[in-house]
Amino acid sequence: MFASQFSYILRRLWQMLPTMAGVVVLVFVLFNWVGGDPSYLLAGKMADAQAIANIRAQLGLDQPWTVQLWIFVKQILTFDFGNAWSTGEPVSHILASRLGPSLTVLVPLTVLETFFGIALALAIAFVRGSLTDRLVMVACTVGMSISILVYIIVFQYGLAYKLGLFPVQGWGDNFVENLLRYAALPILIGLAVSIAPTLRLFRSFVLDEAGQDYVRTARAKGLSERRIVWVHVLRNAAIPIITYVMANLPALLIGAFLLERFFGIPGIGREVILAVERSDFPVIKAITVYVAAATMVFNLLADLMYQAVDPRVQLK
Amino acid sequence: MMRADTVQLHAASPGLWTLAWRRLRADRVAMVSLAVVGLFLLSVLLSALGLVAADWEDEVAVNYAPPAFMGPDPALAALATPPAPAPPNAFDPLAGDIAALKAALVADAARQGKATQVAKAATLPFGADKWGHDIVRKTIKGGQTSIVVGLVAALVAVALGTLFGALSGFYGGVVDDLFNWFYNVFTSIPSILMILTVAAVLQTRGVLTIVLILGLTGWTGPYRLIRAEYIKHKAREYVMAADAIGASGWRRMFVHIFPNVSHVALVQMSILVVGFIKAEVILSFLGFGVPVGVVSWGSMLNEAQNELILGKWWQLAAAASAMALLVTAFSLFADALRDALDPKLK
Amino acid sequence: MTDHDLLEVRNLRVFFRIDKKNTVEAIKGISFSVPANATVALVGESGSGKSVSSLAVMGLLPAETTVIDAGSSIRFDGRELLALPLQERRRLCGKDIAMIFQEPMSSLNPVFTVGYQIGEVLRLHMGMNKRQARARTLALLEEVGIPDPAVKIDAYPSQMSGGQQQRVMIAMAIACEPRLLIADEPTTALDVTIQKQIMALIAGLQKKHRMAVLFITHDLGLVGEIADRVIVMRHGEVREEGPAAAVLLRPQDSYTRALLHCRPTLDARPVRLPVIDDYMSGRMQPDAPLPQRVRGYADGEAPLLVVNKLAKSFYFREGLFGKREFKAVKDVSFTLPRGKTLGVVGESGSGKTTVGLTLLRLHRATGGSALFDGRDLMTMSDREYQAYKRRIQIIFQNPYASLNPRFTVGQILLEPMRIHRIGANDAERVAHAYYLLKRVGLPEQAFHRYPHEFSGGQRQRIAIARCLTLTPEILVCDESVSALDVSVQAQVLNLLQDLQDEYGMSYLFISHDLSVVKYISDRVMVMHHGSVVEMADADELYRNPQHPYTRSLLAAIPRTPAI
Repeated sequence: MFASQFSYILRRLWQMLPTMAGVVVLVFVLFNWVGGDPSYLLAGKMADAQAIANIRAQLGLDQPWTVQLWIFVKQILTFDFGNAWSTGEPVSHILASRLGPSLTVLVPLTVLETFFGIALALAIAFVRGSLTDRLVMVACTVGMSISILVYIIVFQYGLAYKLGLFPVQGWGDNFVENLLRYAALPILIGLAVSIAPTLRLFRSFVLDEAGQDYVRTARAKGLSERRIVWVHVLRNAAIPIITYVMANLPALLIGAFLLERFFGIPGIGREVILAVERSDFPVIKAITVYVAAATMVFNLLADLMYQAVDPRVQLK
Repeated sequence: MMRADTVQLHAASPGLWTLAWRRLRADRVAMVSLAVVGLFLLSVLLSALGLVAADWEDEVAVNYAPPAFMGPDPALAALATPPAPAPPNAFDPLAGDIAALKAALVADAARQGKATQVAKAATLPFGADKWGHDIVRKTIKGGQTSIVVGLVAALVAVALGTLFGALSGFYGGVVDDLFNWFYNVFTSIPSILMILTVAAVLQTRGVLTIVLILGLTGWTGPYRLIRAEYIKHKAREYVMAADAIGASGWRRMFVHIFPNVSHVALVQMSILVVGFIKAEVILSFLGFGVPVGVVSWGSMLNEAQNELILGKWWQLAAAASAMALLVTAFSLFADALRDALDPKLK
Repeated sequence: MTDHDLLEVRNLRVFFRIDKKNTVEAIKGISFSVPANATVALVGESGSGKSVSSLAVMGLLPAETTVIDAGSSIRFDGRELLALPLQERRRLCGKDIAMIFQEPMSSLNPVFTVGYQIGEVLRLHMGMNKRQARARTLALLEEVGIPDPAVKIDAYPSQMSGGQQQRVMIAMAIACEPRLLIADEPTTALDVTIQKQIMALIAGLQKKHRMAVLFITHDLGLVGEIADRVIVMRHGEVREEGPAAAVLLRPQDSYTRALLHCRPTLDARPVRLPVIDDYMSGRMQPDAPLPQRVRGYADGEAPLLVVNKLAKSFYFREGLFGKREFKAVKDVSFTLPRGKTLGVVGESGSGKTTVGLTLLRLHRATGGSALFDGRDLMTMSDREYQAYKRRIQIIFQNPYASLNPRFTVGQILLEPMRIHRIGANDAERVAHAYYLLKRVGLPEQAFHRYPHEFSGGQRQRIAIARCLTLTPEILVCDESVSALDVSVQAQVLNLLQDLQDEYGMSYLFISHDLSVVKYISDRVMVMHHGSVVEMADADELYRNPQHPYTRSLLAAIPRTPAI
């Protein structure tokens, strides 16, 4: 049994290589070809030809593209992208230090969002088809229609600026202080924004399961409606829920970028926006490549979890 | 299943779309949403043709003029200039003074031409922004930008995704492997990151750029669904029957399977429109979307952020509610459309 | 001795909601009884309302879409079930009344072990603790005949075969010693040999536990061996009710008579199968002898199709780089003369369908040859084969999936004619289409309709008409009547036979239904695990089966007492 799992993992890792290669090529093409020559940007307004040529040599842009590609690959494998063009900080240091704050917001957010999503979805499943159900669904639709920007602007203005319940912006050095004080409002807003789509999705998972034949059998056995939903249906609905949450985690990392930007949280998302604003290519390249790698790894983990949780699935 | 074995053949035989339309018509929520969406689309059309809101850039009010229902702001009243009273006809044949006549004619001409000195109102129906632009006109014009981007980008994404998905699902083998590889590469990078990256790389700003970015990154969702549908349908007996009677591969793919799959593509498109409108708003907010000088709901929200601290909330309210109304209506309609095309007994 | 039956259904009326305002009456006021310690068979075709009635008894009809009329009454042991609050009604279910369903795979919860699901009922209704429940579960698994119960108790449903899953369902149902067991088509989804075992199991359990059994089925022939009483339903009404012997041997109602006689049986082969209408209109005398048809391959006929060592394997990825081979068809050889029918019979997984699909080149053969008119169909190029598509055609099993739902019947019929350029212009083709519609017994207006407006039997006729546009010489019928009700089956079989008599087509008739195969085939080929185990003329095979597998297949056919 172990052997088949091991060989499955190996085969998946093997299959990831072409994808990773594709990502590397895509990023390379985007930045080194479509992106144009950044040396003009970096040289500043009044640079002369010599300065520009210097910068080009520094960045290795005067080399043939095969060499540039090789340099890029080396950078990825050694985690060394040199320094950010705008701040001069080593890129690897940027990535390492920004990961913490991002996770401080994301992990509690994911946990709360999943927990509330499941609880509400199961509660709704009891009253499916009723007026309550339809009203809640309409409320979700309306909630999803309001741009996240509006949520952030209004909450930040109302709860932090006007009422002073939370700090408007900022980040500290102490982990607990960060978690309870600075991350609180962003997490709250993140929850408010994500609860509607999460509830809709989880509800559809739960309803799909509730319509299956084994639920009819459970009723025929005389089980109470509560037991049917909380034990039989939930256990089956957990499968798509878990795989969804797992597969979405890397996207969340970037998705929180708006929260980080508005609240001045020094995380990966905010870093991406800053880098895009400043055309800081090394930072963007590094983040893109590593997030892509993380996504592939998380997809593999999601599939392994899927197999662990669903007895029907045989790893092939 | 509960039907008897004999069947009465009534006069008209409805196809899928006719049946779906009948179901939609019976759904009140769907009809109301459709009407709302229709109104928005109408405003987009009129705005694009220049019939309304073409003059949104005119500074027609004092800076930060409040909405009419709030009354004028006393602090700014001084800046307001009342509209010029209608002048008497300058050509008075009984007027003796030719110089005065000339001056009056010149003044008249200046008034009737593109006057830079337009009257500055103290209040507007929904207020004004920092430069005195009419919020109502900005909202309409901004809506045109955001909605057109959403629609066109969704069209591009669904067209690409459907074509790739059909080829992939139907032919399988190497073609499938190739497209799957593309799919894996594109989906390894979260879409927001993809969009931001391409925005960083394409230095030019513009509506076309956003449409391309969204369309070229958004094809992955439809691709996966359409591919799954094609794989499912290819194994169905009616396609095997078509093969048995001699239909070619292309014919099976487009004449046989596609009509059975087109409703999925349509629902996908409606979902993407909503997502892309929201994405455009965020992009424009961040400054990566529309260029300066083009208004979109996103740029309006950007300005609104600073105005809020000064206590001026009307631009935020206008952009937010217009967007919320459209997206809600569109989402409700998309849900109803999906149910009408594929009803399941719940 | 009580004065009432265990289950008494009086004047049950059930309505289905089709939209917000309208309802349709599905059950039109039926009454029947199930005495204690007896087996009652509830028989009807699809749409008769037999399943709905049983779901009503169990309280499993979805409240949002069904309405039970206030005047209905369902009494169990004297108590009115419809008046009970939901909580109390649920307590009866699983304990005093239990139910098993048609599809055991989807009726069992896939994520819990078999032992957990059976134990659940014991813990809930009998108040056992975990240890007691496990011990009792082991005993139950043994009683229902699960091999190796100590291991299987911790297995998941997906790790078991269909027959074993159904045994688990039965174990779950009898766990609390119910007084009434409702079995809704429990063997329909199973192979005929397994079917026999499950029927025997249910009959044995009924005697041992002295339960009442309400056995629901569409197959009147099945109930002869186990039922004490028989109820026949049609279109939501009860047509006949009485002791089994009376109903089966001396049916009073014309529909019951029709149902009994439309099925092809093993001991007769009428030239035309009687259909429901013949009995309903009173044309047919119940015991009139019917002219019989003689079948068999004639000697010295040049065969139209010669298949030699046909093989088809499917490949699956396994391990790190390996491939696993599954041999669906191993080594199949047969001949098919002009105007004759070769029946291919076997259980699920025998490879019979794969043979048909491979002949049509819908699967690529892995080996062997199929000589048609001297040319090998398996190795010719696609372009060459295009011309042969006119000459060999196929009718599939599922009438609901073999017609494109977005094409009108007219488009379905015109397409093959256009592709193969039959007829000089569209007007001719349309005229031919109308002719074919009439030939298969459909009205001309069908031309403009969509498939979803037709029933299963009618859709099969459309599929037959589609094949006829090309006037093929060989027609592969892949389980073409298996999904149809008995009455409709007879009509389609008659149509197929008429067409063979008229056009001289050869048929390759694939089916798992032994009685139908014997009726329609000249020669029969028995398949098992991809190989041919026996092949002989139909009468000879059924009279004198040589291979043990053939014998077990034939022994499994339920026998109705002589009609």
